[in-house]
Amino acid sequence: MAETIDYLQFILAPQALNGLSLGVAVVLMALGLTIIFGLLDVINMAHGEFYAMGAFLALSLAGLGVGFWALLVLVPLLMIPIGWAAERWLIQRVFHSRDRHILTLLLTFGLGMILEDVLKLAYGPNTMRPETPIAGGTEILGMFLPNYRLFLIGFGLALIAAVWVVVFRTRLGAMVRAAAFDKDMASSLGVPVRRVYAGTFAFGVALAGLSGVLLAPIYSVFPTMGRDFILMAFTVVIVGGMGSIQGAVVAGLLLTQVQAISSLYISPVWSDPLVFGIMVLVLMVRPRGLFGRLGNA
Amino acid sequence: MREAVMTAVSLPRSPSRGPLNATHWLALLFLAVALVFAAVAWTTGNGFYLRLATEALIFAGLAMSVDLLLGYTGLLSLGQALYFGLGAYVSALVLRDGAPSFWLATGAALAAGALAGLVGGVIANRVKGVYFALITFGLAQVVAKAVYNTRELGASDGIIGIPQIRVTLGPLALDTADPLSFFLFVLGLTMAVYAGLAYLMDAPFGRTLAAIRANEKRVPFLGFNAWGHKLAVYVLAACVAALSGALYPMLRGFVSPELLFFHTSGNAVVTVIVGGVGTLIGPIAGSVLLTALRSVVGSWTEHHLIVVGVIFMLSVIFLRKGLVGALLPWLERRAAARARHGRRSAP
Amino acid sequence: MTKATLPATAALALLGLAGGASAAEPIRIGVVTPLSGTYAPIGQQVRWGLELALKEVNAAGGIMGRPVELLFEDEEANPAVATQKAEKLFQVNKVDFLTGTVNSGSTLAVGQLAERNDRLIATTVSFSDAITTDKCSPNVFRVNARAGQQSAALAEWLAKDKPQAKVYYLGPDYEMGRSTVAAFKAAAEKTGAQSTGEVFAPLDSKDYSQYFGQLRAARPAVLYTSTAGNDTVRLLTQMSEYGLLRNLTVVGASGTVTAQNIGAIGKAADGFVTGVGYSAELDTPENKAFVAAFRKAYDAAPDLYGADSYGLLAFYKAAVEKAGTTETAKLREAMRGLQWPTPQGLKTMRAGDHQAIQDMYAVRVTEGRFTIVGTVPGEAAIGPDLCARF
Repeated sequence: MAETIDYLQFILAPQALNGLSLGVAVVLMALGLTIIFGLLDVINMAHGEFYAMGAFLALSLAGLGVGFWALLVLVPLLMIPIGWAAERWLIQRVFHSRDRHILTLLLTFGLGMILEDVLKLAYGPNTMRPETPIAGGTEILGMFLPNYRLFLIGFGLALIAAVWVVVFRTRLGAMVRAAAFDKDMASSLGVPVRRVYAGTFAFGVALAGLSGVLLAPIYSVFPTMGRDFILMAFTVVIVGGMGSIQGAVVAGLLLTQVQAISSLYISPVWSDPLVFGIMVLVLMVRPRGLFGRLGNA
Repeated sequence: MREAVMTAVSLPRSPSRGPLNATHWLALLFLAVALVFAAVAWTTGNGFYLRLATEALIFAGLAMSVDLLLGYTGLLSLGQALYFGLGAYVSALVLRDGAPSFWLATGAALAAGALAGLVGGVIANRVKGVYFALITFGLAQVVAKAVYNTRELGASDGIIGIPQIRVTLGPLALDTADPLSFFLFVLGLTMAVYAGLAYLMDAPFGRTLAAIRANEKRVPFLGFNAWGHKLAVYVLAACVAALSGALYPMLRGFVSPELLFFHTSGNAVVTVIVGGVGTLIGPIAGSVLLTALRSVVGSWTEHHLIVVGVIFMLSVIFLRKGLVGALLPWLERRAAARARHGRRSAP
Repeated sequence: MTKATLPATAALALLGLAGGASAAEPIRIGVVTPLSGTYAPIGQQVRWGLELALKEVNAAGGIMGRPVELLFEDEEANPAVATQKAEKLFQVNKVDFLTGTVNSGSTLAVGQLAERNDRLIATTVSFSDAITTDKCSPNVFRVNARAGQQSAALAEWLAKDKPQAKVYYLGPDYEMGRSTVAAFKAAAEKTGAQSTGEVFAPLDSKDYSQYFGQLRAARPAVLYTSTAGNDTVRLLTQMSEYGLLRNLTVVGASGTVTAQNIGAIGKAADGFVTGVGYSAELDTPENKAFVAAFRKAYDAAPDLYGADSYGLLAFYKAAVEKAGTTETAKLREAMRGLQWPTPQGLKTMRAGDHQAIQDMYAVRVTEGRFTIVGTVPGEAAIGPDLCARF
């Protein structure tokens, strides 16, 4: 019995807690992706590069003396015009063709390729890292967790809740959902559909940038960092149901727990194929994912 | 893309339809230019350019396999490198450990490609659209990681020491180490695959694919099995990719897990878009063009991703039919003019 | 392609006619190295080291009165690209010698290409043992230390400084990571260390905190790791986050903490010990001059890659001058057993496996600098000649 409690307290629980902080990071990445898909039907392959851009922006601004708390506001604000411009000048160019799924995917894939190289041109290939803004750690029930991770979990969950409130409990969110459900009807009801599109894309991009600021102290900053979360984030979005916010949260937290706990029992190298296998299974049983789309939820 | 794909779909039915339509003229033109190039390169003793061109043709095979899915069936595969790499590894293992026989190596690669394509096709064809793109991406990623970690397959180092071989074609025999003859051989093979696929796409099979592309839900009402056709074209594409992959170790003498990486799949998609979706000849021309471009730009700056990325995005936005698509209307006008002229001068 | 290459072909044909091997004809050395992609930071050091050496060699009259030229090509850390670029350098640019490959896959593939083109290459970075053991090639030389030499130096330091230490191993799960761990484990166990467990994390892992439970439970005094680049940044900073670096000595492979990632690791790198063939802190006049010149030119400190690449030109120069020609067979003979000067002292090329013999050091990171804490003479660190091909 004592052994079981020991095992739970010293092996399983810390593992689950560490998995939670990774889960929050993945959900933050997946959230922007799923909102953009839910409304615009666009798979944003450059999402990882926007995340990297946010991290590099934070690094540059921190070099100018801007504090961490100011960065949490400033970087997303700076990312908004970038996202807005990308939607207006790139996505809109191919948006009205029937194959917008594939065309926008290709376009953002090309954009990601260029952005990654531009970041390397601007910052060089070496890894950089900002200092952890909140040092130290806390013991909870004999488990040690760094304070910054506790902050990340708390802040991330609050952010997810805030996004949920905006989408489901505000007029703005109602417009977005209306546009996602039926853009012609929404437009005839006076919803400025074009601005809602650009705004939503910019919002998703700003979320990616904010994730960059939040995760940089833990995961460090380098030009190819955008590739890190992208496969996992896509998996989460697919399993949760493309365009579903609840889906992204549930699938994100669930899949990272699967990964964390399974790596206690199997070689960690197999945890990626395991998660992918779950995705295939979900697609076999429920091709639309666990939850419905944004407009229908 | 709608225009691009509609063109692709309607191409065989364009006014110049017949055994030699405009795309086929383009293929003949490509063949002629390739032969002239071979003659010049051979007389100036430039083995490197012949071998680089051979590599371009090998990757052209991979691009054609992406085009089969994207241009003719509307399925974007982001993981075609899986089958290319599979063909390369199987061929490499057969040549090194089995027998140094071209036919055995390509046969084994084709069999492996068909089998893997069947498994992958059953999984990937459960879904469509972006789900298809992401699931093919994930499949390739998992297999690439597995190869990267498998010591028996040389792990991250890959396999070197694949012998140069003699290919026997009835009375003829050629050496893969000889740049000219191997180039001509791969050129012949590529054009044969092109001709076969172009024929197939013009046959009822290809027209059913076009129907699936246009509206999958209606296909069953026409009495066709949409799922079966999609699986068949997926397996066919896997075989084409595996065949091209099988040629790679014969040219370069090694294989490495990088052949299976997303880099390879992504490049193939870029090639198809830049060359011309749904034309088959476009991907071939695109592969040759991009290989040359990378070779030149790569020596000039390490920021070639920006260059290739910009060209790619411009192609997606402006050249919806790729380079070949930009050339085709002109060729078709010429063909039509010649036809008119021919009628007038007839007695 | 045809259109693009025709003028190039014609131009080359003209060049060929106009050229000829006059005395002033430059010696061309091809450099196929990753200037983009994951290994770009290493490629940068390779480039800097070679370019600095080039300036000095040419200022001193070149090699046998002939000026030296370097031709760079980006290999993107991809063997498929590396062979293509190397073939271009061999056949179109007619380089006399080739170097620069970083990942062992590229070195092996380009080595095979060199055999087929009857040319010689040298690596200044790859440390996979296979290159000069079971996959050795008569056309491939290695002027840097291999993994075996590095672990020998580190194991010796460990036995002296922390006798009978309990060691835990954490490696990246791929061929190089596993074989490096296995090699060090064998060397350390021979000198009395006790192994308390091992774990292999996938390459490019984001989060290492999931292995910290097992690490804590094993209660080791020493952690050996063979991660590299970004992976090390994450591993060490996350360990520091979790307070694991207290009372734990972290040791690792030579590529684990380098000039490229030490800035990002920051304080968490302090106390890290590795076995390596070079340190910028090496207190010899040759090295001081080299470091000063390097800093002046690039505003950065050289690391082992920069130093070994810098030393390569001296190796090639000595060999060509000994052979009196750049011709392959004679040059190979000249290179075998050759001794040449480098910033880290005299190195010897072992004839039997084309592996450089050099003094090895155990270095410890102290406030961002690699200070030397132990030295193993070259002969003691080199290990047996396991190359059977020649």
